[in-house]
Amino acid sequence: MQLTASRLLMSHLIALAVFALVTLALVPLIYSSGGIANHDIQRYGKYLCWAALAVSLNLLWGYTGLLCLGQCVFFGLGGYAFGMYLMLNVGVDQVYKTALPDFMDFLGYTELPAHWKPFESFGFAVGAVIWVPGVMALIFGFLAFRSRITGVYFAIMTQALTYVAWILFLRNEFTFGGNNGFTDFKKILGANLYSHPHTSTNGKELLFFILSALLLIVTILLMIALTRTRFGKIQRAIRDSENRVRFSGYCTENFKLFIFTLAAIIAGIAGALWLPQAGGINGDVFLPRESLWVVVWVAVGGRGTIWGPVIGAILISALKSWAQREYENTWIIILGGVFLIIVLFLPGGISSLGKKLLGWIRICRSRTENFITNRKKKVDPNGDGEETLQ
Amino acid sequence: MKQITKTLKYIRCATFNSILAATVIGLAACGKSSENTTTNNTVGGSTGETVKVGVLHSLSGTMAISETSLRDVLLFTFDEINAGGGVMGKMIEPVVADGASDWPNFAEKAKQLLLDDKVSVTFGCWTSVSRKHVLPVFERNKGLLFYPVQYEGEEMSPNIFYTAEALNQQAIPAVDYLLAAGKKKFYLVGTDYIYPQTTNLVLFQYLRSKGIAEEDIGGGLRKEGNKTIGAGKYTPFSHTDYQAIVAEIANFSAGGDACVINTINGDSNVPFFKEFAASGLTAEDCPVVSFSVSEDEFRSLPTKDLVGHLGCWTYFMSLDTPANNKFTKSFASWLADTDVTGIKKEDRVTCSPMVLSYNGVYLWKKAVEKAGTFDPTAVMKALEEGISFDGPAGPVTSQKNHHLTKNVYIGETRSDGQFKVVKSFEKVYGEPFLEGTFK
Amino acid sequence: MRNLGLIIPLLLAIFGLPAVAVSESIKVREKLAEAAISSEEKQIQILESLIESGDPFIAKVLIAWRRGELFLIEHEGSTIPVLLENADSKEPVKAFALKNGKVLNGKSGKKLTFVPSQQKAAETTRNLRAQIKKTTDLLAILNPNPKLRAEAAFKLGSQGKPEYLTALKNRETVEDNPKVLKKIKEGMAISQLRIGDEKQRIQAAVNLGELRCIASLDSLERIIREQEKLTKGEKNIDLIRETSKAIKIIEVHKDWVNKGQTVFRGINYGAVLLIVSLGLAITFGLMGIINMAHGEMIAVGGYSAYLMQKWMTGFFGPEALQWYFLLAIPFAFLAAATVGLLVERSVIRFLYRRPLESLLATWGVSMILQQCFRLYFGAANVQVNSPDWLIGSVSVGDMSFNYNRLFVIAFAAVIVLGTGLLMSKTSLGLSIRAVMQNRDMAASMGIRTSRIRMVTFAFGSGLAGLAGCFLSQIDNVGPEVGSKYIIDSFMVVVTGGVGNLLGTITAALGIGTADRMLEAWSDSPVVGKVLVLSAIIIFLQARPGGLFAANSRSLD
Repeated sequence: MQLTASRLLMSHLIALAVFALVTLALVPLIYSSGGIANHDIQRYGKYLCWAALAVSLNLLWGYTGLLCLGQCVFFGLGGYAFGMYLMLNVGVDQVYKTALPDFMDFLGYTELPAHWKPFESFGFAVGAVIWVPGVMALIFGFLAFRSRITGVYFAIMTQALTYVAWILFLRNEFTFGGNNGFTDFKKILGANLYSHPHTSTNGKELLFFILSALLLIVTILLMIALTRTRFGKIQRAIRDSENRVRFSGYCTENFKLFIFTLAAIIAGIAGALWLPQAGGINGDVFLPRESLWVVVWVAVGGRGTIWGPVIGAILISALKSWAQREYENTWIIILGGVFLIIVLFLPGGISSLGKKLLGWIRICRSRTENFITNRKKKVDPNGDGEETLQ
Repeated sequence: MKQITKTLKYIRCATFNSILAATVIGLAACGKSSENTTTNNTVGGSTGETVKVGVLHSLSGTMAISETSLRDVLLFTFDEINAGGGVMGKMIEPVVADGASDWPNFAEKAKQLLLDDKVSVTFGCWTSVSRKHVLPVFERNKGLLFYPVQYEGEEMSPNIFYTAEALNQQAIPAVDYLLAAGKKKFYLVGTDYIYPQTTNLVLFQYLRSKGIAEEDIGGGLRKEGNKTIGAGKYTPFSHTDYQAIVAEIANFSAGGDACVINTINGDSNVPFFKEFAASGLTAEDCPVVSFSVSEDEFRSLPTKDLVGHLGCWTYFMSLDTPANNKFTKSFASWLADTDVTGIKKEDRVTCSPMVLSYNGVYLWKKAVEKAGTFDPTAVMKALEEGISFDGPAGPVTSQKNHHLTKNVYIGETRSDGQFKVVKSFEKVYGEPFLEGTFK
Repeated sequence: MRNLGLIIPLLLAIFGLPAVAVSESIKVREKLAEAAISSEEKQIQILESLIESGDPFIAKVLIAWRRGELFLIEHEGSTIPVLLENADSKEPVKAFALKNGKVLNGKSGKKLTFVPSQQKAAETTRNLRAQIKKTTDLLAILNPNPKLRAEAAFKLGSQGKPEYLTALKNRETVEDNPKVLKKIKEGMAISQLRIGDEKQRIQAAVNLGELRCIASLDSLERIIREQEKLTKGEKNIDLIRETSKAIKIIEVHKDWVNKGQTVFRGINYGAVLLIVSLGLAITFGLMGIINMAHGEMIAVGGYSAYLMQKWMTGFFGPEALQWYFLLAIPFAFLAAATVGLLVERSVIRFLYRRPLESLLATWGVSMILQQCFRLYFGAANVQVNSPDWLIGSVSVGDMSFNYNRLFVIAFAAVIVLGTGLLMSKTSLGLSIRAVMQNRDMAASMGIRTSRIRMVTFAFGSGLAGLAGCFLSQIDNVGPEVGSKYIIDSFMVVVTGGVGNLLGTITAALGIGTADRMLEAWSDSPVVGKVLVLSAIIIFLQARPGGLFAANSRSLD
């Protein structure tokens, strides 16, 4: 008994509706009744942004077969673009002597460098959140795909990219705050960014949570759409055998370039929404380690599935945050062990756990109905997800 | 067609998965909400027989190298105070969180310490970037943070108390000492972050005010118009190859009377000093005065290559005073007895940031007793009025500007990884704002 | 051979305190012993008088004195100045009386031992230290070792004191080593430049230019600056002209020297890259495992060196510091290979058909190992000492080459050669290549592929361990020592062409040299690195398969 395409669509949409209901109605309701603290809703908002980042990587890796080990470059660029706006709205503080960002004050700058000036405009900054990662991806993707850099080479190149970004952004002369980065944001569009005192709700914490939820919902809708369109089919075909697609007359480079740029833009927006909820950013967001975490989220959740990356990102981040307080010495070992086990024994990730469970349930149920028909259609748990990389 | 059925297989259980994802957030939210309604919302409260105190250091990642020692000494201090009857009759209950060398994570953990655990005070942070990340958290939530590591100054948050060395308690005395020793050329080298950048800029201005020519300040200058906005040579974090820089220093010092002001961070000092020694430069020709190398770092440095190089801190383990002997002895015996996981017991030393953490805890205890409450605002007020404590390195007194008056020592490295005090300055007033004050 | 000639006296100079103690004249010893317990005034007088004897032993004692390693021991009712067998030791050691070089005996004739840290060291005052410095400086130009003599001559000259100038002049007449003679001339010229009359100064500037003395640049430039401040009438036009001329000559010379040094730095950095990436060239290049735990295998090597040092010094005392490193090399290889073997058997062998997941699994392994190091060895880095034969440098003209850097190049050459021979000349190498190229075919020929892969991974890990052992000499040993190099290693292997050792060698040396040259050119380590990485990205545009891409007709 195969699910028909329309039933599958229905189940996805129902799930999305449940998700939307929880994040857009239930959580705000509890929050406004004082049930969720400001810092907790910020934390959940961060998880949602990370989930969106994981979904963007899944678009690349799960559906197109391009393993990007530098997805945080775009996440960070989005964050930095929006952070520049926020830094310029800190204002003259009692400690900092000028309206310049604090690190410029330290280093004796007397006026704003030219490339910072446009970021005084909110509109420009929001635009930059989209086009800076987009253009970066377009250039890098154009270079990489044109010369058919694929597989491991692509992965290592993107890792080099994030490494370059890291050493550049830690440099004070690069005028983006060096190692201190951007912190201590205060205002957005003239309003208070954070609630003050902490028990009130006069800040923008809920707004950013809802925006993050919306971003995730929109990207998931996009994923669902992609699995159904012709474009999505070609995309998956590229993952499974790029050469066959090319020989069929498609220009696979353009497809890949489009997907790469799209994923970068999603990551950039996620970064921009993440920043005010995290409270600060510095060059370490470009550490290769950070991008590897994203890959882990996707792999643990289940790559090439709609909801896998979301589950992976939220579960792992929540586990990490919890363990860092409960097992401050050994949390890394616990986390490393968890995903070693998942990689070794559950190659499809946590999503496939559901699939396996459902498979068993279905087997039990149908056994009572019709033993013989079901035996023929038993699902092979590891039958797909073949590697395209060698 | 095959592709579609394949995909179908893949996402057969989409409903299950999506509901799982949606409920993770929902459940977490509900769980939290029930927890929150039962506790009161005041920060700085203490319940029952204990008072909660936060410890926020990196126990993993790059900064774990330095910060775990501070965690250890803090736990020791708490035990020592508890053994003496606690603070105002309440036992200290430490809440340790791992900052994990991840700065936004520092902010998140600070929020949790303040709002979920409701700690009365937090001791923590090493790097400037971590302090910058938690600063708004402490300010918004009216918390209290004690910061123990030498830093660049130019900051005075109402909610942070800086037991750390300010620039005039470390860099300036060291340079004074070198000037008095007849040094005429200064090479500035550091890791590229805000502490070395600011320190070197201040030192550049200071040296110029003492009549040292621009050509005699090595490492390069960065200018905006006529104004110097950067001095010194900078390497990225974890830099390992100092051949080019040491060669430059060798050239710079060939004429004699030169010295090096080193603000290289943590582990990069090892390749720097190995290269320095390997190229035949010695402390006699060209002494290096380091601001980020304490006894704790010496544990990993080849100390025989470092004999004679200088350090400047407000505490040395080798200080031969009764207070210090007692401190080092009780810390050693505590280390031997402790059963906290992750604490290394062999080859341990004490150093300035550790003692400043120790002093911070006692200052906080005295301030709480003076204020008669654990409320951070009242405690900070008591600190601002001036509280003295006889620490291992001599008396320290809190100042109105949230810094400490303390003794400053300049030491020469001995071959056993300790410092021999060659000069001391008594009761130096901590002054955080120095940039632009020397003309 | 010239190195050896330098190393031996150096070794003696630093560690030979008690060893050469016997040969010194009793008179000198007695004077020194007297000085150690005299008043400051008398001490200075005695030291002044000791200079002419030219005995290098005096300098050794004085250096020990200044370091606080000359001890005063109360013995049989009198205070006796002694030198201890090893001043750093935490255990009791023998004491040699300064007076006669004999071991201090107790009443029963038994040798007495002392713990250095519990003994009283002879104090030094500021004035005494100044005198000690002067005495050692002047003694140094009489040192039998020409290298030390040359250094000392120059140092004396650059202090610009008349009494030193006289000492140099005296020495010039008897000196026969041309290198030392050059340095003495340079020193004299610099002295004259500072303290001579106008004519001598002009002559000194001309001399310095002819000698191409880089170290004098500073003094010459100071002359120009001083002259510029003077009014027109006071200026010495000839001096300015000659000095500028000399500066120009020296600048050109310095430029060439710097270029040479940069190339050398590039080559040895390339050798470092080669050493750290060779293991990865096996595990990633040949086996296709995206081995993120490579860095931790390097750390295992580093910690092996640390353990070996700890054991050997614990067992044989501090002399073991000179040779423990030779034992550490094979030990590091074996330790890392064993860890690699365990990782392969427990994790990697399940992932040969899923290379991308090997990335995740090895990253998990790397996180776990890293935290284990932290918990076991402590979060702080551990201290690994370099043997003395790796400290110091040899100079050719004005270029100097550090021993440890020369050692890198030799070390890289040896392990590359070893690996190359193993791969091409042994039957094991043949099997490895067969399995890596086509596992199924190899299996059908009767090769036990599973075992071969196990051995290959262990071998690759062992190479990483060697790298870590070597890095302990120039870098930290700590939990994160390896992870710093992991990106560089991957870049080297990818640029060279996956699965090709020759490619790895070429890429490592190429990237190393380019990196250092760009660093020198841009005067910033960061810019150099960014440019190199960008260049690699562009380069892979042209050759997506790397330098030596394997030719294949197969698709995907």
